[in-house]
Amino acid sequence: MNESVISKQPAGRPQTAGRTPGSAGRIVTRTVMWLFLLATAVLTLFPLLMTLTGSLKTGAEMMTGGTLFPAKLQFNNYAEAWKQANFARYTWNSAFMSVMVTIGTLLVASMAAYVVDRRDFPGKRIYVTVQASMMFISVGAIVLRPQFDLMVALHLNTTLWGVILILVSAHSSTFFMLQGFFKAIPRELDEAAMVDGSGFIRTFFRIILPLLTPGLGVAGLFAFRHAWNEYILPLVFTMTNPKLQTLTVGLANLRYGSSAAMQIHLMMAGACLSILPMLLAYILANKTFIQVTAGSVKG
Amino acid sequence: MIYKWKRLGENSLFLAPSIILTLALGIYPLIWMLRYMFYDYAGYGEALFVGLDNFSRLLRDSLFWESVGNTFIYAGGKLLLTLPLSLLLAVILNGRLRGSNLLRGIYFMPTVISTAVISVVFYNIFNSYNGMVNTVLMKLHLVSQPVDWLGPKHAMLTVIIVAVWGAVGNYMLLFLAGLQSIPQDLYESASIDGANAGRRFWNITLPMLAPVAQMVIMLAIIASLKGYESIMVITEGGPIGKTEVMYLYLYKLLFPVSTGSPVTQQLGYGSAVGFATAVIVGAVTGLYFFFSRKMNKVY
Repeated sequence: MNESVISKQPAGRPQTAGRTPGSAGRIVTRTVMWLFLLATAVLTLFPLLMTLTGSLKTGAEMMTGGTLFPAKLQFNNYAEAWKQANFARYTWNSAFMSVMVTIGTLLVASMAAYVVDRRDFPGKRIYVTVQASMMFISVGAIVLRPQFDLMVALHLNTTLWGVILILVSAHSSTFFMLQGFFKAIPRELDEAAMVDGSGFIRTFFRIILPLLTPGLGVAGLFAFRHAWNEYILPLVFTMTNPKLQTLTVGLANLRYGSSAAMQIHLMMAGACLSILPMLLAYILANKTFIQVTAGSVKG
Repeated sequence: MIYKWKRLGENSLFLAPSIILTLALGIYPLIWMLRYMFYDYAGYGEALFVGLDNFSRLLRDSLFWESVGNTFIYAGGKLLLTLPLSLLLAVILNGRLRGSNLLRGIYFMPTVISTAVISVVFYNIFNSYNGMVNTVLMKLHLVSQPVDWLGPKHAMLTVIIVAVWGAVGNYMLLFLAGLQSIPQDLYESASIDGANAGRRFWNITLPMLAPVAQMVIMLAIIASLKGYESIMVITEGGPIGKTEVMYLYLYKLLFPVSTGSPVTQQLGYGSAVGFATAVIVGAVTGLYFFFSRKMNKVY
């Protein structure tokens, strides 16, 4: 509407300087802007590109430095990292931990969010307040020690389950995200199911949860990303159990290896192996990632 | 009556996992920490009640206060670079621009990658003798000699650069979300009135964005005061303590084994340091909130 009104203005109306196409000032501004955007994009991609090219160089080429691109592509760096530097093991540990954390977080948070959204019960406000404060008072390293000691007492420190439980316990942001999704499912649906004789638990798992699939997908993606990228917790828990190291821990520890200096090419191949799955998931779900993250500021 | 008890039972069942996990791994560790800050406790043997001794030691602990100073340099540097850069990118990408989706995708990419893994990569590309950064700078003739990026003089700058790299995309997206909630007709009518891009930015964008910006800046402050994962991987607080930050110092008191530092484990004193750290972060956030409260009003 507005634009058609503007275009009907008499031809003699002075146009604002910034709007005149082809004016010298505008071309300069646009050029500067594009240079800035491209420079930022190049700087953002630079470390990733260096990881990729570094992963295809020989160890000697990495050591002497000086080249940007590999003289000859060394694809067997990946095979070597996978076998010799134990990345097969690290990948399995990372995948196991991340999948379990994702399932656990979704289950715990969706059950709690469902009850909180659909029912009233004594202490509901206290529960929601505690969950909200948990989101902001994430004290990180301060509570790491008691968490660790608790897991030792439960004998869960010799497996990855200790890490998994701690990561699942931080489910408050997933809780609030899923609560938002539950609001969009009409209450009449579960009421109708219950009238038809379906019990509470059955209604939740058979009727409501399947309807929540898109929401679970998004929340799961975030939980998975968080677990996959986690470093400090698995580091602490695998100090005496190298077999349990995840990708992040195993890769960072390569820096101390006896011949670490010779293995930069393996570190780069390992970095590619650990970045790739997340990057792939991101590219496939780019829109979801960006929309959900952008939406989170409103809360 | 039976009906009511049944409902209560169902509610409890659905909330139990969440409540148990939150109590055991969220609230209990906090209480543990609050208790042991009054004890001399090494993590084994007997814990000895010492009252406020840990706090008087804290006041005399020059290493801790240096880490506080470093934290402020680190956080300040990171914020000063990240916030204007991400706001600028958001403002540009908010306009109708060719390839804006692709650029958003690129800038946001670092946030899906593990901080620890990308820090391993940065550790290698900032290496002074064979690192890519020096290679590129020397090929472009910007420097004549390799820069010692991880040395005492530049290490702080290096870890700040890495932090900015990882954060810009995230805050760009949050700002972008805020910008998109500003009604477009405001800009249209301002253009008709002859306001140029600069005026539109100062008189419409900034005031309308203020409430969102207040939240985003607060999140950024908290995150930058708490970040230590990347520093731990790149410099471990060195060289000569130049990049030691509060949370890293705390981590070393609680888990000296994993860092190989000669310090003995000190859980009592560590709890006191943890408490002081939390108070400092809380105080900064509180002060910011107090001084930024005007931003909450939309003009």
